[in-house]
Amino acid sequence: MVELSLTQIISTILLMLLGIAVGAQVAPIMSWVERRQCAIIQRRLGPNRVGIFNFRIFGLGQPIADAIKLLFKEDFVPPYVHKAFYVMAPVVPVITGLAVTVAIPWGSHVVVNNQIVNLQAVNLNSGFLLIFALSSLAVYGVTLAGWSSNNKYSLLGGLRASAQMVSYEVAMGMSIIPLVFIWGTLDLQVMISRQSEILFGFLPNWGLFHAPVSFIIFLVTIFAETNRLPFDLAESEGELVAGFLTEYGAMRWSLFFLGEYSMMFVMCVLTVSMFFGGYEIPWISQHLLLDLLSPTFGEALTRWILLPIGIGVLLLKVVLLMWFFVQVRFTIPRFRYDQLMKLGWVYLLPIALVNLVVTAIITAFIKFH
Amino acid sequence: MPSLPELGIYFSLLLFIVGLFGVMFRKNIIFMMLSVEIMLNAANLAFISASALTNTIDGQVVMFFVMAVAACEAGIGLALIISLYRAKSSIEIDDLRMLRG
Amino acid sequence: MAIQISFLIMGILAVFLSGMMITRKWPVTAAMLLIIIMMLLAGMYGVLGAHFSAVAQIIVYAGAIMVVFVFVIMLLNLPPEELRYGRITINEIILIGIGFLGALFLGTKVGLGYLVSGLNSTTLINARPPYYPAEMNENVKNVSTLMFTDYLWAFEIVSFLILAAIVGSIVIAKKAKVNNAKSS
Repeated sequence: MVELSLTQIISTILLMLLGIAVGAQVAPIMSWVERRQCAIIQRRLGPNRVGIFNFRIFGLGQPIADAIKLLFKEDFVPPYVHKAFYVMAPVVPVITGLAVTVAIPWGSHVVVNNQIVNLQAVNLNSGFLLIFALSSLAVYGVTLAGWSSNNKYSLLGGLRASAQMVSYEVAMGMSIIPLVFIWGTLDLQVMISRQSEILFGFLPNWGLFHAPVSFIIFLVTIFAETNRLPFDLAESEGELVAGFLTEYGAMRWSLFFLGEYSMMFVMCVLTVSMFFGGYEIPWISQHLLLDLLSPTFGEALTRWILLPIGIGVLLLKVVLLMWFFVQVRFTIPRFRYDQLMKLGWVYLLPIALVNLVVTAIITAFIKFH
Repeated sequence: MPSLPELGIYFSLLLFIVGLFGVMFRKNIIFMMLSVEIMLNAANLAFISASALTNTIDGQVVMFFVMAVAACEAGIGLALIISLYRAKSSIEIDDLRMLRG
Repeated sequence: MAIQISFLIMGILAVFLSGMMITRKWPVTAAMLLIIIMMLLAGMYGVLGAHFSAVAQIIVYAGAIMVVFVFVIMLLNLPPEELRYGRITINEIILIGIGFLGALFLGTKVGLGYLVSGLNSTTLINARPPYYPAEMNENVKNVSTLMFTDYLWAFEIVSFLILAAIVGSIVIAKKAKVNNAKSS
């Protein structure tokens, strides 16, 4: 049995709280970013009025105002719904979305009380599979909401969401396996430290350059997994009113978005950790900085200095990727349902399988040659 | 108090029996299939417990095979349920008595 | 001790919820209860040291198989059924009782020894530490190594089984469609 010291327990809890805090902040900020970006694309202004005490910081007070409005709205439960599941459904995406944040690697490690503290709060041997496991549970919120609303539109939305989730999870899993071949591990920390090296003398050793096909398939599938716009068939306003959200209002409605954005954030963190080197600055690895700075500051202090730098770099990469998500949302129109299924099963899955076999052969060739 | 793997074996026994009762007493095919899933899960728990008991990992490998078989069973079974529902518009096991004169 | 108590609680809860599950009226409720049972079982696997199995249990069972179940239940959109139970005969009760006692025997140390190895049971079980496989930190690696060496043929056969299941379910679904088209 593994004996945990008090330092490790406390630091793990703090790291979990950090992840949950960041995950919960994503939804309000992203809703503002999304509206502003949409306005820029459509040559409007967007929400730019609400400020805090007369300071109009590009309308950044808008999320707070929205939150206050949603909290004080009447909590209305429509008649004829299946009440227990109707109440339970919005909680499922929130719990899974926030629980996944515990597996985010914020940095390599620091030393507290002469003990090494891994900056990934939950570092199981099965690595990032934990993120997949929890993210695959988020779909139950949508399906339950669709079923319990007792509404044909909602039911269709729930059905679409569950079919879409199962279809795209297959391609997603298949697109990740080549990376496991290349890095030879499931552990995100090891993956990130491998990516700090230099490839061919001038490129950072990112997973993107090792497995570009995997990256494209994975990117498409996380759009589908998080129900983002080209694939948000579950709530398409054109045909299904609002899909599974039709019967929801006020805080319950916004809870779905809290979970969805948190999941999107974690998926972006996963993408960055696997394909873009995570918290490592490209070309300047943390090892290099450690060697440079530790003569002046000492090793323990240098690790503490590197912690906020690493978190900043990680968040910068994630923000860029999420901005790309927003950009795609207002650029590409929604797919038709048969197109969605065809894309998943006819194109993405065979490409992912071929990519898997080719990568396996090349990796084996390099390894045994 | 028995050790954890032994407790796991006892729990798997109880789960298996509950699943067996579900298959025997419910007349709805979906409930019967869900009960079969419980029984397969009980078998998995027994495998994992045996693997922990003997300090080997063969049980964990076999658990993956059981899981694959369960996935196949669920896929085929649900396809059958849907085609039965199309033909009979009912999923009661008692309504499927075509071969009975 | 805390781990043992949590294991006990998870096991008792799983058995209790499975008892609830088989007596529900709504199929969706039963499916949701089964998902909770599967997550509890995943927790039990984790306590027993099988981390990879625990994660795979959630991904495959709760994340894929049960989603398909819920999909089908919602597709049929059945009304809640009146609980109708089948008849049970005295023979079946006797058979279940015998099976229960036999399984109870197999669950004991002696029985487990016969079950697991057929060797001298007490030495086998007492010679080893009670739980946690020693190489817990290498769980994924060990499981996959064993799967692709000793169990390679079983693995291949299972892959063919899955292929057959895919083809079979497509054929079943297609056939129904053709019949519908003909009748209409």
